[in-house]
Amino acid sequence: MKALVIDDSRVMRRIVSNILVDVGFETIEAENGQVALDQLEANDDVALCCIDWNMPVMTGFEFVVAARKRPEWRNVTLMMVTTEGEQDQIVRALAAGAHEYVIKPFTPEVIVDKLQFLGLVDVKESV
Amino acid sequence: MTIPATWEPLTDADPVLTIAQDLFSTMIDGEPGHLYQWMGESPSLEDSRYAWVDVSGPVVTRVMLMAGRATGEQLTRALLQMDDSEAVSDADFADAVGEIANVVGGNVKSLVTNPGALTLPVVTHQEPDMSTAFCLLETYFGWKGAPLGVSLWALAS
Repeated sequence: MKALVIDDSRVMRRIVSNILVDVGFETIEAENGQVALDQLEANDDVALCCIDWNMPVMTGFEFVVAARKRPEWRNVTLMMVTTEGEQDQIVRALAAGAHEYVIKPFTPEVIVDKLQFLGLVDVKESV
Repeated sequence: MTIPATWEPLTDADPVLTIAQDLFSTMIDGEPGHLYQWMGESPSLEDSRYAWVDVSGPVVTRVMLMAGRATGEQLTRALLQMDDSEAVSDADFADAVGEIANVVGGNVKSLVTNPGALTLPVVTHQEPDMSTAFCLLETYFGWKGAPLGVSLWALAS
């Protein structure tokens, strides 16, 4: 299964990618929402996007809104992974079409628990 | 109507320490107990670096992390799970230390009533000019024996 990790921080992309690879994902990366849209255009087998909120060029929220306008991507699971922890930000992202929301800092277990809840990782998988 | 943000809950160091300890225990040390309140006088930082994010609003508020270069390199290695002997590039250093400031700033922002948007992190060798800013909080933590500072500033509009 392929995952797209979207974060302007290379460090954070690496951390999230390592967690996903450990539970069986193949990962590709994007440093902002616009590059992520380009990656989705080029890769029709992406099952999961992990999305930071604050990024240059196109934010994660703008990416979610743009991605949800495309019917062919309706099966792509969108999970915010961000420092934006206010209740209204979470509600905005979920209303725009994100499926899950993880607030930084996080442990690998938090990410895996969310993926299990979303049915993207078997419960027996561990980090 | 714009409602001003309320920063009073954060003028005490405890919430900031809790945020920093949460970050360090989950993403840097992998276990709690390694970050603690620095006791005594404010320490001097050797070859210091500054990383900050701003929270926009009627009064722009800055959340700034201060660390010596060597401590910042240790933080970078810890975040990236690098060996102690591996050299840290300037790009990895800026990215890692900036992300730490971003996570601290984002979590500080979430404790504030009516905050504005969070800016992208900035990392510099030069201390930013804060002569017209008002310091809301400056506190130091210890990590692996080295000091790390966090300060909160109200910037002049």
